[in-house]
Amino acid sequence: MRQDSRGFIPVRRFIAFGIAIFLVFSTLTVRLYDLEILRGDYYHVLSEQNRIVRLPVPAERGGIVDRTGYVLARNIPGFAISVIPVDLPRTREEELSQRLGSLLTLPSDSVDETIRAQRIRNPYEPVRISKTPVPREIALAVTERAELFPGVRVDPESIRFYVDGTLYAPVMGYTGPITEQEFEKLKQSGYLGNDDIGRTGIESIYEQYLRGTYGWREIERDAALREIKTLALQRATVGDTVSLTIDDRLQKLLDAELRKGVDDDKFTQAVGVAMNPQNGEILAMVSIPGYDNNMFARGITTAELAALNGDDRHPLVNKAIGDRYPAGSTFKMVTGLSALSEGTATRETVVNVSASSFSVSGTTFYDWRQHGSLDFVHGFAHSSDIYFYTLAGGTQFAPNVHGVGPDAIAKYARMLGFGSPTGIDLPNEDGGIMPDPQWKLATFDEPWTIGNTYQEAIGQGFVAVTPLQLLNAYAAVANGGTLWQPHLLKQVTDAAGKNVPIPEWTSQKLAMTQDNLRLIRESARRVVTIGHAYMPNLKIPIAGKTGKDSAGRNKLGFHNWFVSFVPQADNTDPTAQIAMVIFTYDSSKSLCELCLNPAVGMTQRILERYLGANK
Amino acid sequence: MSLRRPATPLHDRPAPRRWIQIDPILLIVTLLLIGYGLVMTYSTTAETRTFTGDPMQFVVRGAIWAAVGLAAMAAVALFDYAWLGAFAPLLYVFTLGLLSVVLAIGTSSLGAQRSVNLGGLSFQFSEVAKVLMIIVLAKFFADRRASIGSPLTMLLGLVLLAPAVFLVYRQPDLGTSLVFIAIFFGIAFLAGARIWQLVALVAIAAASFPIVWSLLKDYQRARLSAFLNPYADPQGAGWNIIQSLIAVGSGGATGKGLTAGTQSPLGYLPIAESDFVFSGLAEDLGFAGAVILFALYIVLLVAALRVAFRAKDPFGMLIGAGVATMLLCQIMVNVGMAISLMPVTGIPLPFISHGGSSLVSICFALGVLQSISMRREPEGP
Repeated sequence: MRQDSRGFIPVRRFIAFGIAIFLVFSTLTVRLYDLEILRGDYYHVLSEQNRIVRLPVPAERGGIVDRTGYVLARNIPGFAISVIPVDLPRTREEELSQRLGSLLTLPSDSVDETIRAQRIRNPYEPVRISKTPVPREIALAVTERAELFPGVRVDPESIRFYVDGTLYAPVMGYTGPITEQEFEKLKQSGYLGNDDIGRTGIESIYEQYLRGTYGWREIERDAALREIKTLALQRATVGDTVSLTIDDRLQKLLDAELRKGVDDDKFTQAVGVAMNPQNGEILAMVSIPGYDNNMFARGITTAELAALNGDDRHPLVNKAIGDRYPAGSTFKMVTGLSALSEGTATRETVVNVSASSFSVSGTTFYDWRQHGSLDFVHGFAHSSDIYFYTLAGGTQFAPNVHGVGPDAIAKYARMLGFGSPTGIDLPNEDGGIMPDPQWKLATFDEPWTIGNTYQEAIGQGFVAVTPLQLLNAYAAVANGGTLWQPHLLKQVTDAAGKNVPIPEWTSQKLAMTQDNLRLIRESARRVVTIGHAYMPNLKIPIAGKTGKDSAGRNKLGFHNWFVSFVPQADNTDPTAQIAMVIFTYDSSKSLCELCLNPAVGMTQRILERYLGANK
Repeated sequence: MSLRRPATPLHDRPAPRRWIQIDPILLIVTLLLIGYGLVMTYSTTAETRTFTGDPMQFVVRGAIWAAVGLAAMAAVALFDYAWLGAFAPLLYVFTLGLLSVVLAIGTSSLGAQRSVNLGGLSFQFSEVAKVLMIIVLAKFFADRRASIGSPLTMLLGLVLLAPAVFLVYRQPDLGTSLVFIAIFFGIAFLAGARIWQLVALVAIAAASFPIVWSLLKDYQRARLSAFLNPYADPQGAGWNIIQSLIAVGSGGATGKGLTAGTQSPLGYLPIAESDFVFSGLAEDLGFAGAVILFALYIVLLVAALRVAFRAKDPFGMLIGAGVATMLLCQIMVNVGMAISLMPVTGIPLPFISHGGSSLVSICFALGVLQSISMRREPEGP
């Protein structure tokens, strides 16, 4: 009975069903083994990459101070305005774009476009609308009327502030957004695509100290890319404080005098640089006209930039180092030192300047007056052109004096730093031109003439110098024969207050005798006491040399120089603690030999006030 | 007493004797799987950081459904399954009615209309329909054992199946309609259908693939393409597959630990408590946890087949076969989908997926199996 009733059981098909179960689970198990055991590590990495992102935490940029600690550049809080598209209803997008556009003075189309692009890219991630840091009032306007600004976020962000913007812009430079090419090179060093970077000046050259060390924040995020929690945090370290050798008090004295000269229409452009001849520290550096670097920090407008670029006085160029000018009579120091060093002249070399002009092969050369008989000191003090024509190339006025020649002048000039950059710690330094016969042949394919030698002797013709080169050469004379690498960096201090190692400054000993250098110092002092740059009621022992020149064939463009140094006492010892060059220029005025050199009076006023207060 | 006893040739044994014949292994493995399911619900939802509310809400709801399911199982076991056979035509009409109701008044989620709201609880009628369809088909083939070799029988069976498959497909729920077809094959196979006829049906289905393809919805086609190459559209159609593979693979040998997985709580795994629950399990408990689950499933399937094998009549045997087919098919498709051996279809993983309809329906089916076990011929004297 039971056997019969079980006849309906298909035993083989049950076995087949069992085999099917076995096959299904074998397949699943083998695949799982492959995924979890053999490739588990690979997928583990993928799952971590899914959820963990490391976000950079930007560091505050370091400050810049003068030698006394007076703050020149710091950061002030500004705000960034962003939109998170997912929190912004599509129906209100246009209205918000218009409102933000008018608030931030941006075209509402571009605001709308930015939001729409982000909506497609990642609607949960905020996209920055403000191109430049936004002041507090605007940020407040947004946060107080949040209902008018759906999806808008306000985040604090730093904005660079230059305390005396225009005063220091030529030195300080400014920061600006990193370019694509720079970013490609610098991303290995931790730069971000929207970083600011020092663009020029100190900001650029000491970027490494100022930038600081960025931190990071590791966050866990969900599939919608929303931040869930912070997993780990590495704080950012604020950038180092850069102390400059600049003395803000001198900088302001110098700037005020030069600016007054511009206001009084004595000239339209001016440069003033002061340094300590004993170590190459730059104490002040003014270039007028300048620009307000805060315009760049807050984001310069196209119109502002066009105005700066369109100004033919080139306000964006630091003229102390970035442009070259004829040295004029200040160069007589070089001609004189060459002749003294080569032994073709001594302190007693006398030239009888019995005329105020003479001609050589059809060309007439002038002196500014008929000086009569001059020795070296007086030739220098009265800035006699004929005296130095004679030392350089020989003239009829002193048949027994052999000219030292253009090659020797070029040799000593280069020793004094002319013709190549001084190596100051600023970008875009010009090297000037220090010609010699070979240079002329190579450049103009013409042989050197005696006329070239005469021109060179008094700093005209081909010679071109930067104000800093000139100052540095006189500083080497003032300190007894050491040519320093001029520099602006005094020290670097990190966030903890510790000193950070900085580069060593180089110096070169001049191959010149102390007697000859002393003779130049004595002669330079005579320039002020009896000569060309007589200073009435002078209270400090200023020594120096004037220079005048005009640029171009039409003789338009009037340069005036006064380069000076101040020994500790009224003697010829190499003790000067300060040397200064003042250069003024007016492109609309022509050379005027007998006009007053404005640089002389300004130098007296500045140095008397500066040193008078110091002593 | 007469209520429990159908009029015709069915003979029921006295109650005490029947309880002894309950299948203990089937019962124990059922309880273990329900427990495993609650643990996994806890693991994938307790730490979920993408929604707010009571973190235990899913576990509590799952426990309530488990209690309901177990009660249903006990009630159905008490019931003589012969009654089900007697009422098979009525059940069939009822099944089609349920599926029509879903289409008519169902609420939609993720573009599909699959569930009906009953007093605040949403219920997926297609889950119940699967079990009811097993009974209907089992009854159909049990009654036609004599003419099983005739193509006409197969054709009639298909005619019986077609409306249900069509209604489910229209929801649209391609996965569940495929389960219906699998159940048909499973029951027909054990009912003794000619192998060549079954092969011919498969061949016809394969040949008609281009037509089926043209009938598919866009998202279904995208899923099939994504199955073949998920990286063609990693943020779109391929996203689920890639994220699921990452979840499974990152689990490693022993997993990240309960609630320690990151893929599902952070929302990388979509529908992590149901369709992709296996990925969460493999991430949290690793290869070991998956193998334990497989072992429990194998015991469950073998126990179900044993009930079928020992059934006192072809009807009982075919119900057992149908239930085993349904479970195997769902496990294969759901796990296969999580590890990219199958295209993405929304089929719940038995016991593990969070969802009342699936759990209660399976408990109902296992209750029927226990009823069959209790009413088998006793072994030996």
